[in-house]
Amino acid sequence: MLDAPSKADTCLKRIRIYIARMPSLSTTVTKVLETCNNPKASPNDLNRVISLDPVLAGQVLRLINSAYYGLPNPITSLTRAIIMLGLNTVKNLALSFAILETMSGKGAFRVFSVNDFWAHSLCVAVAARHLAMVKGASVSSREDFFIAGLLHDLGKIPLNKQFPDQYRRVLDESCNAQRPLQDLERELLGIDHCSVGELIAQKWQLGANLIQSLGYHHKPDNVSQTNRPFVTLVALANSYANLLKIGTAGDVAENHHPIISYLLEQSGLDWKILKNLGDQVLEAIEKAKIFLEISHKG
Amino acid sequence: MNLKFWGVRGGIPTPGPQTVKFGGNTSCLELEFRETQRRIIIDAGSGIRQLGNRLMQNKTDKNCISADLFLTHTHLDHILGLPFFAPIYLPDTDLRIYGPVTCEEEPLEFVIGAQLSYRYFPVRQAELAANIEYLNLQEGHFDLGDGIKLVTKYLNHPLLCLGYRFEYRGKSICTAYDTEPFYNVFSTDTNDPSYDEAMAKEGELAAQIENSRIEDFIRDANILIYDAQYLQDEYETGRAGWGHASIEYAIETARRSQAETLILFHHDPMRTDSEIDELSDRFCQPKHTADTQVLFAREGMVIDI
Repeated sequence: MLDAPSKADTCLKRIRIYIARMPSLSTTVTKVLETCNNPKASPNDLNRVISLDPVLAGQVLRLINSAYYGLPNPITSLTRAIIMLGLNTVKNLALSFAILETMSGKGAFRVFSVNDFWAHSLCVAVAARHLAMVKGASVSSREDFFIAGLLHDLGKIPLNKQFPDQYRRVLDESCNAQRPLQDLERELLGIDHCSVGELIAQKWQLGANLIQSLGYHHKPDNVSQTNRPFVTLVALANSYANLLKIGTAGDVAENHHPIISYLLEQSGLDWKILKNLGDQVLEAIEKAKIFLEISHKG
Repeated sequence: MNLKFWGVRGGIPTPGPQTVKFGGNTSCLELEFRETQRRIIIDAGSGIRQLGNRLMQNKTDKNCISADLFLTHTHLDHILGLPFFAPIYLPDTDLRIYGPVTCEEEPLEFVIGAQLSYRYFPVRQAELAANIEYLNLQEGHFDLGDGIKLVTKYLNHPLLCLGYRFEYRGKSICTAYDTEPFYNVFSTDTNDPSYDEAMAKEGELAAQIENSRIEDFIRDANILIYDAQYLQDEYETGRAGWGHASIEYAIETARRSQAETLILFHHDPMRTDSEIDELSDRFCQPKHTADTQVLFAREGMVIDI
């Protein structure tokens, strides 16, 4: 007799189906539609609007890494992906996912605010890029950290969208019991957003750094030696964003200070580095909001 | 193997007195492997109609028509001849159609089949008698059997478009159309309000890398069939981004890649026979082309390789 499918298996089945047609965020969708429908839109604007949407950014990288053969390393740069795929292909791809969102008419999220999720993702992206710069990363590799930060919580989208009632309980219990979100996800859904994120990144062939960042940003010590410094910086940016409370993706329970201290130590950094980072992050988010809101005003 | 050009024109069929010599049919090439009886067709532009008629004439009750059709991409000028390819109406025809998928991931059968619907054509795809198999292609290396190897490479066109390199007994034939040079699409003007230094620099680097990947793909080809729709000054006056290269760029690239013979292909629909003759005098002389032989593709031209 076959065993009944486990909670995790049932969850995974629905998640796998959802991942294939995951819509872009409603926060960016108007600007995406405006940019992609305008034949004279600047390529810089196209690149920028995609780089502000974790789902679209992931989809563009998915396309480039699944279609192209013989690349020595996975492509993690949107700039390079746009050059390789061409503006039309990228616009068509972006439109197809923006339209999914429009058609659903319900917003990508049901439990916490999509705008808060977007702000948190962007905050982690900007912080990760800054930390990489401090660590001496080259200009182009800093963008890899930005993308990793932007995409790190992608695994929450299917959980949020596909299991809204259970996910509401996950958030409530995490908040009430002051326990990590991912622990409650595993208890109530059988799987956490890290595993879902890892699954997405694997399916989209995003490369080891991104796969590990999505899968282990709460446990960078479990990452292979090669990718650990990368994931540790992304984890640090995530904890820092939670400390600042710029946006939120539901991680409200953790005591962030000891985690940040530990991650700073692991990265060979100290608290001074974080002193001015908050202003930079806020400025980047404000600029992004202006960029996106211009379109709302037509 | 024999290479025959059944259609060499870009964009749209251009019949008329000014295209009699070089031909007005859109892209279609035939590669015939004499010993193995294998037949490879590249693209189903309007030229494929006459190829189909020739195959029908030579057909007997004992030998059915079998071919591998490789579509470079699904823009109309590369597929519009398929409904007029007579062998698709014979029940004993075996046709394998390969092509790149679109970013929307719709299957090739759906993309090609759209033109075989009543609103466009009196015969529906489901009514075709031939055995047709559709195979989606991406970049890669493939063994086609009978000693024929295939390498595919994405080019630079407003739709995902594949270049094909067929290798057989140490000889290679390579197609690189429709394509234009990769270039940095991002602003390099520091006064542009949307200027971004990192984006500008990476855009430059990415374009260089992609152009060198194309050159690696075509390197040392015995026959290189390259997009040459424009002259360089035409390309530079509003045609960048349309997905077609200039004659000058095609020649430079072929020489850098040490192609043995370059065949300039996908002629602009506006280009007349007399203009191509003049361009031949200007560009195809050995003093300009060094070790690479350069010629303009002409409908009906056959090359024995």
